[in-house]
Amino acid sequence: MFPMRRNRMMRTLLSVGTLAVVYGIAAEIGRGRLPDRIWLGTHYVENVQLLPPYRSLLEETAFLLESGILPSSIAVSAGRVLLGFVLGGAFGILLGIATGRAARAEYLADPWVTFFRFTPALALLPLFVLWFGYGEGSKVLLIAASVAVVTLLGAHQGVRSVPRVYLEAASALGASPGLAFRKIVLPAALPHIFASLRIGLGLAWVTIVVAELIDARMPSLGYLLTLAGAYPRVPTMVVGIATIGALVLAFDLLALAAHAKATRWMRRTA
Amino acid sequence: MTAGDPPRLRLQAVDVGYTYSGPTPTQALEALSLDVHDSEFLAVLGPVGCGKTTLLRIFAGFLRPAAGSVRCDGSIVEGPGRERGYVLQEDAIFPWMTVRENVEFGLLARGVDPAARGAVSSELIRLIGLSRFEEAYPKELSAGMAKMVEVARVLATDPAILLLDEPFGALDAQTRARMQDELARLWERRRKTVLFVTHDVEEALYLADRIAVLSPRPGRVKADFPVDLPRPRSLEARFSPAFSALKRRIWETLG
Amino acid sequence: MRRVPTQRFVLGFASLLATVLAYTLLSNARLFRPEIVPPAQEIAVAFTELVVGARPPPVTENDIHAGHHVHSSDHVGTLLQQGVTLQDSLAVTAARVLFGLAAGVPLGVLLGVLMGWSRRADDYLHPIYVLLRSVPPLALITYVMLWLGHGEAHRLIPIVYAVAATMVIPAYHGVRDVAATYVVAARSLGARRWLLVRKVVLPAAGPAVLAGLRYAVAIAWMTAVGAEMLMSENGMGNLIVGGGLWASRTQTKADPAVVIVGILALAAAGWAMDALARAATARLTRWVR
Repeated sequence: MFPMRRNRMMRTLLSVGTLAVVYGIAAEIGRGRLPDRIWLGTHYVENVQLLPPYRSLLEETAFLLESGILPSSIAVSAGRVLLGFVLGGAFGILLGIATGRAARAEYLADPWVTFFRFTPALALLPLFVLWFGYGEGSKVLLIAASVAVVTLLGAHQGVRSVPRVYLEAASALGASPGLAFRKIVLPAALPHIFASLRIGLGLAWVTIVVAELIDARMPSLGYLLTLAGAYPRVPTMVVGIATIGALVLAFDLLALAAHAKATRWMRRTA
Repeated sequence: MTAGDPPRLRLQAVDVGYTYSGPTPTQALEALSLDVHDSEFLAVLGPVGCGKTTLLRIFAGFLRPAAGSVRCDGSIVEGPGRERGYVLQEDAIFPWMTVRENVEFGLLARGVDPAARGAVSSELIRLIGLSRFEEAYPKELSAGMAKMVEVARVLATDPAILLLDEPFGALDAQTRARMQDELARLWERRRKTVLFVTHDVEEALYLADRIAVLSPRPGRVKADFPVDLPRPRSLEARFSPAFSALKRRIWETLG
Repeated sequence: MRRVPTQRFVLGFASLLATVLAYTLLSNARLFRPEIVPPAQEIAVAFTELVVGARPPPVTENDIHAGHHVHSSDHVGTLLQQGVTLQDSLAVTAARVLFGLAAGVPLGVLLGVLMGWSRRADDYLHPIYVLLRSVPPLALITYVMLWLGHGEAHRLIPIVYAVAATMVIPAYHGVRDVAATYVVAARSLGARRWLLVRKVVLPAAGPAVLAGLRYAVAIAWMTAVGAEMLMSENGMGNLIVGGGLWASRTQTKADPAVVIVGILALAAAGWAMDALARAATARLTRWVR
């Protein structure tokens, strides 16, 4: 087990390292060779560095950090994602459990769930702007909506797919419906719920890139990307994309750790 | 109850019939009648698909007979009840609970306080020899150990009647023999009424006081054998002439 | 037992009907301003206009003064002027979605199968995949535009990227966790490379891949609509926001009736495509219990 693990770590370092070196070399080769005047359909933009070398990326990062732009943008955007994630997740899970538990509730909700399960929550954006204004509410609720859709389905399926034998065994041991729900249905549905929460977290970050164009203003990562694209200023763009990527990765690792902890009892395939 | 009284009737099935609906309806049981007496270890023996499990599920209260009636201690069975402990054929140990939590679950359902639950579970877990695994999750147990936890989980609630559905069906021969010894030992300590479903003639002979042989589908009781081998039964019992003679008679009925 | 399907149908139908009725009543009760919650008939009018591609001439004096169209004239009017219809927009978005699936699914499945098949490939590729997957597809759109110019590519690439990233995981787990046992069995029966892949690995991983496909369809629609909302002169995203968000920084005043028509159309299209995907799944995996 252990030598295997070290092998894997070496290979990870090797592949990520190679990628980083290849980028560095490509940026050096590209300097002066890649086009720097680009037609955007309506006008030309000048002095575009399509592959900014590490030096300018580092300078840009230093500038964004020192000026406080990046830290405040991260705080604001991550705050919105978290708030929307918690609201949407709670709503979706509760509704999914309700529709999974009660056959009647499911029958009532079913046509709507079936119909809207593949509707992009992003399409709600103009409606949310009308209903909740240009402020924080629209952005957070849009994120909540996209998270709610997947967690609803996850919780619903989780509750539905609890093996019959566990419910029968519990009932034979005299468990009341309430106890069976707390001790059997919920833990058995947990892996499904966690999987959907992880997907929802990913969707929340997709949504915020668009949601932060509502009444776009700094500080926010979504608007930072938009501004960088408008100039265009590629180093800012790359740093912005990398920052969002790093945040998504960090959130996902946290979610994965929580998932692993909550489902320690599960048999794992190595 | 004094020694002279006839043994009390605990479970009774009268003319029970059951048919599974579906694209190809199958009649599982037809006009089956069976009595189980107090403190009796009754094995129901029959080929795969003869409706043994259906019968047990009816006694457990998870299926309603389509015809006839099923009674427990004189009253009609309408659903699961705390006087009947039921061990399913499938693996039904709760994988998200530790061994201890599994064993204590039935007591939790009855609102027993934690200290009393702990006392019962420690005792039972020790009895099945799994004290080392008390706080382990079922993923660390072998199939035989997991099944024993399921039996202990039911015993913890101290039901008067045990319904066991091929509990050792999926185990290898050696583990199975060991589990049978464990079960026999547990039963001798706590004399319960046991209804034990199996397709293994030797297992039925080794454990039971009486064996009811079912016919192939639709199942009904084809023959009834008292097993008057001395207890406690041991390895020698399995090779005794009386054992072999009975085994032969049962095989003849089955064939 | 018998009664369940009937009950399901009746309750489902009742719930649809009740919601539509309740909406009609509430929206007409003028509890909210009509430019926030448009009356149901206005949604129907917007739908007709967007399908026909023209605005019917006013019939009576009354109609003109009723004020129904005063607000919607902006959004619908602009769209009609540009010659946009609902079915054209839907067709454009569906075409982008289909392209995204056609290019993204093989790419993702190939990567997933490779990673699931070879431990070595998994060790090298997985970290890079995790890094790439972490970048939200829509965040890439402006950067891709710089590389490939203002055309179709920068709308399509995020969709392909999103679909491929989604398909890797089911293919990976399908091959690594499900197929592995059968591969051992097939190998010992003498099956080699291509036969092994075609007859064992792909069918065994099939159910997982097809389940992932249903999810990828949803992701493709979401990314396509998002990309169109950000920067596109056509498609459903454009119809809903009335022009690219990216250019306008969302100062557009959308008409809720159009948005609702758009959402209903997207739901219907998504539902239809999912029904197709499910039918294909059922057909391809008939052997699954």
